[in-house]
Amino acid sequence: MKWLLAGLLFALAVGLAIGTAAIRAENNLLRHGVELRRRELTDRSVEYQRLVIERLREASPMRLAAAQWAILRAAEAHGGAEL
Amino acid sequence: MRRVERQRLRVAFGLLGVVPVFLAGWLGHLQVRQGGSIERAELPPLPLVAATADRQGVRAEKVPAPRATIVDRHGALLALDREVYEVRARIAVPPSAAKTVGKLLDYLAGLTADLARAMVADPELSNRAAAEAAYREQFAALLGKPFDAQALLQRGDFAAEPPKSARQAVEVRLVGQVEALAVIEALRDLDARRPSLRLDFVRGHRRDYLEREATFGFVGHVETVWQEQADGGKVLATVGKCGLEALPAAVAASGRLLPFRNDGRGRPYFTGGDLGTPEPAVLYSTIDLDLQRAAIEELTRQAESPQREGKGSNPQWGALVLVEIATGDVLAAASWHRDAKSGSAASWTPYQSLFEPGSIVKPLVIAYAGELGKVDWDREYDCTPGGAEYRERIGALGRAKAVSDDHACGRLTPHGILINSSNIGATYLGLGLEREQWRDYMSYFGFGTSLGLALPGESKGGTNPRSFRSNIPLKQFRANSAVSFSFGYELQVTALQVARAYLRLLRGAASELRVVRGLQRGEEWQAQPISPAGEQLSPEVFERVRGALVDVVGEDPHATGALLRRQFLQDGIELHGLVAGKTGTAVSSVGTKDRGKVEVRNASFAGFLPADAPRWLAVGVLQRDDRGKFYGGAYAAPAVVRLLLQAQRSAERRLLQQEPGRGSDGQVRTAAITPVDSGWRQAAPGSTSRLGGR
Repeated sequence: MKWLLAGLLFALAVGLAIGTAAIRAENNLLRHGVELRRRELTDRSVEYQRLVIERLREASPMRLAAAQWAILRAAEAHGGAEL
Repeated sequence: MRRVERQRLRVAFGLLGVVPVFLAGWLGHLQVRQGGSIERAELPPLPLVAATADRQGVRAEKVPAPRATIVDRHGALLALDREVYEVRARIAVPPSAAKTVGKLLDYLAGLTADLARAMVADPELSNRAAAEAAYREQFAALLGKPFDAQALLQRGDFAAEPPKSARQAVEVRLVGQVEALAVIEALRDLDARRPSLRLDFVRGHRRDYLEREATFGFVGHVETVWQEQADGGKVLATVGKCGLEALPAAVAASGRLLPFRNDGRGRPYFTGGDLGTPEPAVLYSTIDLDLQRAAIEELTRQAESPQREGKGSNPQWGALVLVEIATGDVLAAASWHRDAKSGSAASWTPYQSLFEPGSIVKPLVIAYAGELGKVDWDREYDCTPGGAEYRERIGALGRAKAVSDDHACGRLTPHGILINSSNIGATYLGLGLEREQWRDYMSYFGFGTSLGLALPGESKGGTNPRSFRSNIPLKQFRANSAVSFSFGYELQVTALQVARAYLRLLRGAASELRVVRGLQRGEEWQAQPISPAGEQLSPEVFERVRGALVDVVGEDPHATGALLRRQFLQDGIELHGLVAGKTGTAVSSVGTKDRGKVEVRNASFAGFLPADAPRWLAVGVLQRDDRGKFYGGAYAAPAVVRLLLQAQRSAERRLLQQEPGRGSDGQVRTAAITPVDSGWRQAAPGSTSRLGGR
């Protein structure tokens, strides 16, 4: 009987050790996933700010006027009859 | 239990009891006997204590706060920070690559190629091959330096053992300002693929100027410099060099730390907290971007007209300033330089370039003298050079240089003196002032005193240091300084100082210019107060001077603004009664680095609009260093008038659009005083004149 109990206790100890390790591994995986997600968010925030500035620059009155002139000059170069 | 069994059990438990004793001893040996610290290159020794172990388990990433966003008076973005990464690399050459020089060089070449490829991963990048080649060259030099790769390559002994440095990890700052997502992802992918490489993405900011060409002087710029730390170290810091960027309000807050813990493999993981970046403060400038652009356009057009029209060389520099009279807000302040190589290196002429103002100070002199009761408005002064009055009042002073006018003026009232811009007439009136009154005149109109804008690099100008020296005899002062002051000589000013002087004439003696409306920090709004108007000219003096300035741009053929009026009439615009102002032309000597003393001519114009109820005032000046004909009325005035008209059109357009001034976050913010509520003409009840003795 006592050997049976000792065996069960040993099995419980091993089970607990394996369980704990599994949970810790799962935790690590989740933490790593969270960290990767955080990095992605920060990276996209950087990209978003870059795009905002880029679009603002493109939409400045000077740039729009330049773009308009470029279109008009191109049209003029291709006959210009419609102008 | 048998005796033998008992003995076995005792031995077994005895051995088990030895284990903790051994462990305790071993730990004591490690912690006490072998304890101490680890020596580190260029760093203090690392103590081997429990706190160090705890510290190794945590990490903090610094999230720097952005500098203040600078916007124009209507909320248009002028300067702002955006987040970028600085990428640092830690390279630990793998043992297999550290066996021979050849393998080490191959490893570095492969790493260089991978990094260069990652840096050009942005699909929008043009000329990818050239960019990749440039990065490859840059990284080869950067990564090769710690391993002395160039020397190893030249030695050519590729089978030899590499130097010891190849077995030590090295850290390098790989590249700054990485911002494109494709590049960031490529670098992160490379970091994951190469175990010998660790890339750290350090968060930082990049300053962007959306209207760079229009705001070089006013907004200024920043520079990144090494700064000494209290603990002896050095850090890279971004500092404002000039313009609004140099204001303390534009400086970034301290930022914050984002906490991390390290897992068993030393990888950091985020433990929660605010991921967002700190919100920047918003600095509301007084500038109106549309008017600033208009000012630059008008100034450039005017400055470049001599060469364009074949009338000599362009001026050395020019400045054009527009001010809202009700608030003293600087709406536009444009610079023009003939020889500037870059906008950021050039001076901000309205604030920094000094010139002798010439005749544009005559209204100020006459208003000041009139306020003291020293002007008989109905009297006719004989402005004939060498005439009886001249000989008696100017000739008798013994002045070496005669006072003269551009044209024969004859007899003129103070009104006529202003519209003809008679130096002789202005001298008669100026000579009515005592030395102390001249000193007070300078202080009243702010000549030689700071504008108080707290921007670096200000030129204060002022009178010649000898002008008011007590050892100068009064007779000598009257013969030289008092005469020169009367028509704007022996005095150095900036365009913004002239604008402030006219603001004081039109609004009140305590008026100051303003370049910042306020600062928004989170929910808190810190307004920059509008300066009080202070004491004002008596209505009679004001109306006399204003009336004369209206007629400067009138029908009188001798009026110095007559040509200007005719020019605008050709375009169907009658300026008489619409715009008022004063022309100025001065000939001065200035010292130059390469040519020594050079004679220059300053053409200037100070005007306001509407003429009967001034709302905007503008000052323009152009300085030319050749001998071509160059007059304020013909050369500086058109740009000033066009800018004033533009300000009026812009205000009308905004009124039609019902577009209120906007603060941040969609909050509508109105000025504390509306432009039409300036009270510039009515003296406050019970106010007294500092000048007294009207």
